[in-house]
Amino acid sequence: MSIQINHLTHIYNPGTTFEKVALDDVTLEIKKGEFIGLIGHTGSGKSTLIQHLNGTISPTSGEILLDGENIHKDKTKLRDVRRHIGLAFQYPEYQLFEMTVYKDVAFGPTNLKLAPKQIHENVVQALETVGISEEIYQKSPFELSGGQKRRVAIAGVLAMNPEVLILDEPTAGLDPRGRDEILEAIRQLHEKRGITVILVSHSMEDIAKLVDRIVVMHHGKAAMQGTPKEIFSHVEELEQMGLAAPQVSYVFAELKKRGYDVPTDIYTVEEAKKVLYELIKQVKV
Amino acid sequence: MASSLFCAVCLVCIDFLHKTMYLIDSCEYMTMDYNIAERQNFCFLRKEQGEQKRMKMVKAEDLTYEYVRILETDHGTKEEKVAALKQVNIEINKGEFVAVLGHNGSGKSTFAKHINALLQPTGGTLWVEDMDTKNEELIWDIRQTAGMIFQNPDNQLVATIVEEDIAFGPENMGVEPSEIRKRVDEALATVRMTEYATHAPSKLSGGQKQRIAIAGVLAMHPECIVLDEPTAMLDPVGRREVLQTIERLNREEGITMILITHYMDEAVRADRVFVIDDGDLVMQGTPKEIFSQVDKIKEYGLDVPQVTEVAHLLRQEGIMLPEDILTIEEMVGAICQYKSTI
Repeated sequence: MSIQINHLTHIYNPGTTFEKVALDDVTLEIKKGEFIGLIGHTGSGKSTLIQHLNGTISPTSGEILLDGENIHKDKTKLRDVRRHIGLAFQYPEYQLFEMTVYKDVAFGPTNLKLAPKQIHENVVQALETVGISEEIYQKSPFELSGGQKRRVAIAGVLAMNPEVLILDEPTAGLDPRGRDEILEAIRQLHEKRGITVILVSHSMEDIAKLVDRIVVMHHGKAAMQGTPKEIFSHVEELEQMGLAAPQVSYVFAELKKRGYDVPTDIYTVEEAKKVLYELIKQVKV
Repeated sequence: MASSLFCAVCLVCIDFLHKTMYLIDSCEYMTMDYNIAERQNFCFLRKEQGEQKRMKMVKAEDLTYEYVRILETDHGTKEEKVAALKQVNIEINKGEFVAVLGHNGSGKSTFAKHINALLQPTGGTLWVEDMDTKNEELIWDIRQTAGMIFQNPDNQLVATIVEEDIAFGPENMGVEPSEIRKRVDEALATVRMTEYATHAPSKLSGGQKQRIAIAGVLAMHPECIVLDEPTAMLDPVGRREVLQTIERLNREEGITMILITHYMDEAVRADRVFVIDDGDLVMQGTPKEIFSQVDKIKEYGLDVPQVTEVAHLLRQEGIMLPEDILTIEEMVGAICQYKSTI
């Protein structure tokens, strides 16, 4: 399912003193099966953008095309849109409410009035994808660890079999292990099901590990777009936009400044090790 | 009045009272009806008594916290005893900036809540200055001494205007209105938010909200601030703002800072780091001492800064960079130095 955003503008409280342009003429294309990282500081417009994508809010002007069809044209169809585009909000575990993990995940597909067999299939598949094993199905969601709770909440969205999955800060507040579990689940999900994933995150390290393409939001505009290599080589521009690059990117930017011949598009630990190793060995010879 | 009689005695034979303070303590409260002046006098004595421990802001001795978890099973409910903290011994000096690390559920937040007397130990003792947190009579003194900041800024702002929010604490303490005004202005200036005094907290960014929450604690003139993952919900700018505020308050105002965090780049800036794992204090030392043990840190489900990891990997390849590289500058410096020595 491809998403085409055309000249999307959203103004909060128009005509009042609190008027705020949250999105300013954003045009963006997201292809089927792409893994997008959406970054930007608080208030840059990224939350407003993703809320448009599943029709939670309507544009002031501009349009969003889902496989070529304007999602806001027929309001009665918004229900279908939300079925196709799953949105996991920040801290989704606060939305867990059922007695058992299984029931909680089944809530979405049950409301979609799927056949009981289909519901069961969806639930089991969703929980498997996020790495929740069978003995946890009948536990209360509130007995689980923070990382498990979050994965169950994400499974709740997955059980509706969305074609696009949007995750708003899925690792916020988790410890490194919980964070790695979630990221791994998302990576596998993208790989196995081939669905489109949009990951909103403040953690550049998370983004660097996973995505194909990064969209940087700044003052309501899509300010930069490109592969992680392209984006993270612009350390200074990112800083000016109130963002940061992964820590190793700064090392290479600094080495370059000091006159070493190093690439500046390095952003993972493994690459950094390789390049630095070569740099050091080179001198030895 | 009985309590004033005690105070007079206290001043004469303070040594004797050091030993019998607990007795006095209970008498004092049995003859309750003391006014504020007497209470202050009493507090003064209490501090005197704590002189030998005075350099310690927080001291935990065999601190244990157990609770009962009720599990639902097929055969009804089952009770299970869980130890969130197991005989933890920690000393935090006045004026120190310490970071507490540990994975979710390791017990680090439980430890933080003890400092603010939100939780009371089920075994062992925790002192804030010299105040035993088990002593319920001291609870307000303890909370005034050790303020607390939580993860979600929206959960701790209570008023609709920034300055009213900051005034909330001192108002409840019964501080004079003119003094409240002074404290609010000072606190706002300290967190560099003066121009937002009459704004609505809901319109601020996450980082700004956290700084307002910190100002609210500052207005109570604490000696120590415990921050439980204060930057978890913030963007990079917000995180930087809050961290700079923490460092500045520590350096310039001498306030003891206890930072609970998952971010290793924040922990490296502390004077000392504690690692808690499944209720045990498993590591303590300077950031360099802690993070140079990359494998051990990972075992506890934690991370090291990216540059530390790169240096660690290069060492495994035989490139002997220092093990305790924590920052970008140190990494760049080490590489330049390594190259110049070849």
